[in-house]
Amino acid sequence: MLEKNKRRVHYGLGQREKYIFVLPGMIWILFFTVFPLIYSLGISFYAGRFGKLDRFIGLQNYVKLFQDYRFWSALRVTVIFVGVSVTVIVVLGMILALILNRKMKSVRIFRMLFTMPLFTAPIALGYLGLMIFYEEHGPINSIVQALGFSKIPWLSNPVWAMVAVAIVNIWQWVPFAFIVLMAGLQSVPEEVYESARLDTSSALDIFRYITLPLIAPILFTVIILCTVESFKMFDIAFSLTDGGPGIATQTLTYYTYTTGMRNQNFGYASALSFILLAIVLTISTLFFRRYRDIYD
Amino acid sequence: MTGKKCEFYIGRFFIWVLIVIASVWALFPFLWAIITSFKKPIDAFRLAFVPFLQFTPTLDNWRMEYINRGPEILRGVTNSLIISIGATLIALSLGTLAGYGLSRFRYHRWSNRNMTIWFLSQRFLPPVAVAIPFFLIFKNLHLLDTQLALIFLNATFTMPFAVVIMRSIFKELPEELEEAALVDGASRLQVFYRIALPLAAPGLVAAGIICFSFAWNEFLFALIMTYKNAVPITVIIAGTEHTQGVQFWYVSTRLLLAILPPAILSLTVQRYIVRGLTFGALKG
Repeated sequence: MLEKNKRRVHYGLGQREKYIFVLPGMIWILFFTVFPLIYSLGISFYAGRFGKLDRFIGLQNYVKLFQDYRFWSALRVTVIFVGVSVTVIVVLGMILALILNRKMKSVRIFRMLFTMPLFTAPIALGYLGLMIFYEEHGPINSIVQALGFSKIPWLSNPVWAMVAVAIVNIWQWVPFAFIVLMAGLQSVPEEVYESARLDTSSALDIFRYITLPLIAPILFTVIILCTVESFKMFDIAFSLTDGGPGIATQTLTYYTYTTGMRNQNFGYASALSFILLAIVLTISTLFFRRYRDIYD
Repeated sequence: MTGKKCEFYIGRFFIWVLIVIASVWALFPFLWAIITSFKKPIDAFRLAFVPFLQFTPTLDNWRMEYINRGPEILRGVTNSLIISIGATLIALSLGTLAGYGLSRFRYHRWSNRNMTIWFLSQRFLPPVAVAIPFFLIFKNLHLLDTQLALIFLNATFTMPFAVVIMRSIFKELPEELEEAALVDGASRLQVFYRIALPLAAPGLVAAGIICFSFAWNEFLFALIMTYKNAVPITVIIAGTEHTQGVQFWYVSTRLLLAILPPAILSLTVQRYIVRGLTFGALKG
């Protein structure tokens, strides 16, 4: 009966009306993303300097990419940055979620506090990071020196600068991993654990053979979404290191920005954009292939 | 005390220690900014936390900011408000319509699945990839440095949140009421407007807050598209570098102004954060 009802609503009424609901949004997105991307594709075939598009050069911008050491450096920086960030975010978020997965009031309050970094402007986070990692007498270096170590060259050393940017990024996204993974853990019924405890007393075994397989899809979602967000990271590097020292923290996103907006080389920047797009498309295809069914 | 009880208390203790450590980790930068904003420049770099005991607090920074840069900051906050609210309204209206459509109908021509993915893919798109063409387009349309340009862009990039949250909320609402109204001769749009929308109001507010926060925090587009009249607060923060180095005691006052609105609003949307941010892959 219920099925029949649903069918009537879905197929019977409003055959034409139903498009009124989705069309405005779809046209908006068509206009505001597909159209600029096509425009961008056009630009990427042109040589451009100082904000002007000179002449048609075909695929030369794309060929140039492969000989550009800055591009390869940016790609390397991106892979390291995303890899390190996502690993730490997921591991920390998982540990927190596993330990705090109980119905205590304090946990609920903590969960609320913990959403604040997630909703803080990344640009502000970058400046907060700048204050905290400040090399001369910043709070962290003060503590480090008080403990008898020499101060850490947070922003002047290429490796440490990367660490600093990654820490701020991790700081923003650990709450996300924690909240989502904890929601995942809470969706596992208690009986599953109870019956598992009859077979083994090892918490590690329970985690490995029971918890992990059950929350694997959620873990996958967290990993993909954190990867994409870290990949898009721009504001933190802008405020904390400005891509430096040198080009040590210049990610692909950052390099595209500097090429397009600072050097005003729109053609080359557009070519870079399409490399970015290809990478993100691969990641998002992975995500949507796995989750197609929930969107039905 | 029996062994089991003892274990329980050790467990509790351990959890509390962890909560405290994690809270310090989550809140320390905010605390540091608040403390620094009340410090004199000479104290700014000292590892001092407790006012009156470790340093003499001062309102000078807030006062100087208000006197010297008050109008600029006020304009930044106003711009941020106009841009975020405008973007939220657009994202919410288009997103709610789409969310309703996707939860109530089957679209055979394109399939619901593909359409949802079409909406969500905005969140995967790197903003920098469309920033450059938009810069050129807006330049030609004389829309650079206008609030309208940023309203359009932020509406586009926050719409996925609205679509996915509203879709999942409409799915949870019972359809019987709407069917009854349809039988009585109401049109689909009337049903949506009169019945479904009021029932979905809490979700609508939550989706609005999430869209607002992300639009408020947006920086890259604002940096590229504005230079004078439409500059929002995020870009004003970024313009604080000084020839004498970054003056943290002033910067922290600005940071706090920018951070507070979304951070406080976020506390009210706990129930919807998970489904909003995971694209509905999880309810939470």
